[in-house]
Amino acid sequence: MPRLSDTMEQGTIGRWLKREGESFHEGDVIAEIETDKATMDFQAYEDGTMLRILVGDGESAALGAPIAIIGAEGEEVPADAPAAASTNGDGGRDNGAAEPEPAAEPEAKDEVPVATATEAAPADGGGLRASPIARRMADAGGLDLRTLAGKGTGPDGRIVKADVERALAGGVKPVPAAPDAPHAAPSPPSEGDEVRELTPMLKAVARRMAEAKATVPHFYVSSEIDMTRALELRAELNAALADSGEKVSVNDLIVRASAQALVQHPQAHRSYVDGHHVYHAHVHVGIAVALDDGLIVPVLRDADTKGVRQLAVETRDLVERARDGKLRQTEIEGGTFTVSNMGMFDVAAFSAIINPPESTILAVSSTVERAVVRDGAVVPRKIMSVTLSCDHRACSGADGARLLQTIKRHLEAPTLLLA
Amino acid sequence: MADVTYREALRLALDEELGRDEDVFLMGEEIGRFEGSYKVTAGLWQKYGANRVRETPISEEGFVGAGIGAAMMGLRPVIEIMTINFILVAMDQVINHAAKIRYMFGGKVGVPLVIRTPGGAGAQLTAQHSQSLEAWFAGCPGLKVVAPATPADAYGMLKTAIRDDDPVLFCENLVLYNLTGSLPENGDGLVPLGRAAIAREGTDLTLVAHSYTVQRALRVADRLSQDGISVEVVDLRSLRPLDVDTVAESVRKTNRVLVAEEGWSTYGVGAELAARLQRVCFDDLDAPVERVGQAEVPMPYAKPLELAALPLESKIEAAARSLLAECGL
Repeated sequence: MPRLSDTMEQGTIGRWLKREGESFHEGDVIAEIETDKATMDFQAYEDGTMLRILVGDGESAALGAPIAIIGAEGEEVPADAPAAASTNGDGGRDNGAAEPEPAAEPEAKDEVPVATATEAAPADGGGLRASPIARRMADAGGLDLRTLAGKGTGPDGRIVKADVERALAGGVKPVPAAPDAPHAAPSPPSEGDEVRELTPMLKAVARRMAEAKATVPHFYVSSEIDMTRALELRAELNAALADSGEKVSVNDLIVRASAQALVQHPQAHRSYVDGHHVYHAHVHVGIAVALDDGLIVPVLRDADTKGVRQLAVETRDLVERARDGKLRQTEIEGGTFTVSNMGMFDVAAFSAIINPPESTILAVSSTVERAVVRDGAVVPRKIMSVTLSCDHRACSGADGARLLQTIKRHLEAPTLLLA
Repeated sequence: MADVTYREALRLALDEELGRDEDVFLMGEEIGRFEGSYKVTAGLWQKYGANRVRETPISEEGFVGAGIGAAMMGLRPVIEIMTINFILVAMDQVINHAAKIRYMFGGKVGVPLVIRTPGGAGAQLTAQHSQSLEAWFAGCPGLKVVAPATPADAYGMLKTAIRDDDPVLFCENLVLYNLTGSLPENGDGLVPLGRAAIAREGTDLTLVAHSYTVQRALRVADRLSQDGISVEVVDLRSLRPLDVDTVAESVRKTNRVLVAEEGWSTYGVGAELAARLQRVCFDDLDAPVERVGQAEVPMPYAKPLELAALPLESKIEAAARSLLAECGL
């Protein structure tokens, strides 16, 4: 299992594109692998033939674990090769794809440890009788199965799913070392509730957001921005671009204003990392994209060097591919600032959680027409509420306020966006 | 469309396919003037004539072989074997010829043949005429084996089978012939081969079945629901290709699985599913895969013994309760 993202600890085979017996060339995509962030194409490092698939579609394996055996066409899989981790579920279909070396398999199975895709953690009750799902649920819920020894209600004292559910509901203390469960014991599902596994992406979001909120000292700076002129500018731009099919959104203007402001305020554009401040040389602006169930933050690289048209084109492409799960790893990492825009949801105000190691994130709410006082007169203006979340280890309140002030100034005098 | 019987759904599918494609023709014992032992071909001899609805002597090996030859030459024969018990005398044709020809001729010639045949028990037809042998054929590469449980699937899968370029054993069931149900209002009604269906959704137990046993399973699910037990019924519809994915997806939700079938359990559909599921769902299981089938004896004639041998609802229900009890439910 290759490392396709910096933070992945395991990967899931989305699907194999080369079946056993098929050959491929260097650079061919042979599988789609779901990391904790995205679905990535896995390219062959060299020419070869797929001899045996060890981890089937939809199954997971730890980093570095063997997922398939490749070799030359017609080559035999050596008897000491890792045995199949799984069947892929359709081995009996009439697809005519014969396994190349069936003869080698029985010996291999007997002599070598099987590289299973989802090994039960031996610490969680190695010698205990427990059903497989009970073991898995205990593992996921941070429950040490040994605390249930002798209390299983299945045949011969087997610990079954219901026992684990009761134990978790009763608030049994989580095992301290469980890395995926840094939170309190889960509350019990009620009658009729459905319990579902998280997708790798949702797991990553859960872990990273919990870490961020628990370890990053957030403070918040809010402001209201008069968007009347920015919206006029946008209308003018879009009218002029109508023939080209290009379209500039409010979000593109906000990204542009933010990128310009970040360049001017290096103290609000640095990260706190291990007791040091890292000043960012490039402005890489992430944009939070909501998916049907989940979210992903593609990154507009060197956003300060790009005009609003280019930002619009790149954003549209990134958002489309984000929704199709087709972003590359390099497109979702390296951000130095994030814009989270919920303007389309009729939101009055909200605050966002910082996406570490970034130190700031801008929460953008809906623009509404309001009566405001200008030069002593009440006039209707289009007002947008924004909140900047800041990591207090990286910037002070004044740093955050200055950054927000500049963003506001650029949006309220929007010809600056074109400068 | 008003509800139709399983029998009428089959007749309608045959009628429409005969009308649609001149290469389709029927062959079997007493399927013309007599309209078939179970009246599935009613009216078709009158409508399409003796050339396309061909009567045969009692010679299964001969007419299955003739069908294979016709199929190799490009026609699309649909052969009726009066019951699956009689296919045994044509075994060489089915297994050694129909299933093998595409492979042995390097893919250059196929056998677009459908063999329709009912199985099942319960009418005191005794050991030789009460069998459910579909699992034997489902173990043979080169064949497709399907066993629909509803009129809509009978209609849609028979049409798909006739249009398939490879041999399909189409397993009907004597008890199902009078089951009524609706056909789809819109579209062509075609149902793909090789896809299972969720016949009823549930969360506590996956109950897998095919053919008439699906109807039994649905009634068992009804009864268990009165005790607050939620059973998901998976109708396999096809035995080969076997849609393990759909079953596995259900098992991942319920963590428990019982396979019921009217044939013998030994080397049966449940055996195959147990082998596949313990691999793809190992970490999802809360109890071993359980199965219910016919008693491991030739079907007795005496009514009390016949009932004792059949996998009746009471037995499926008892197996389900026992499996759930192991899991503390």
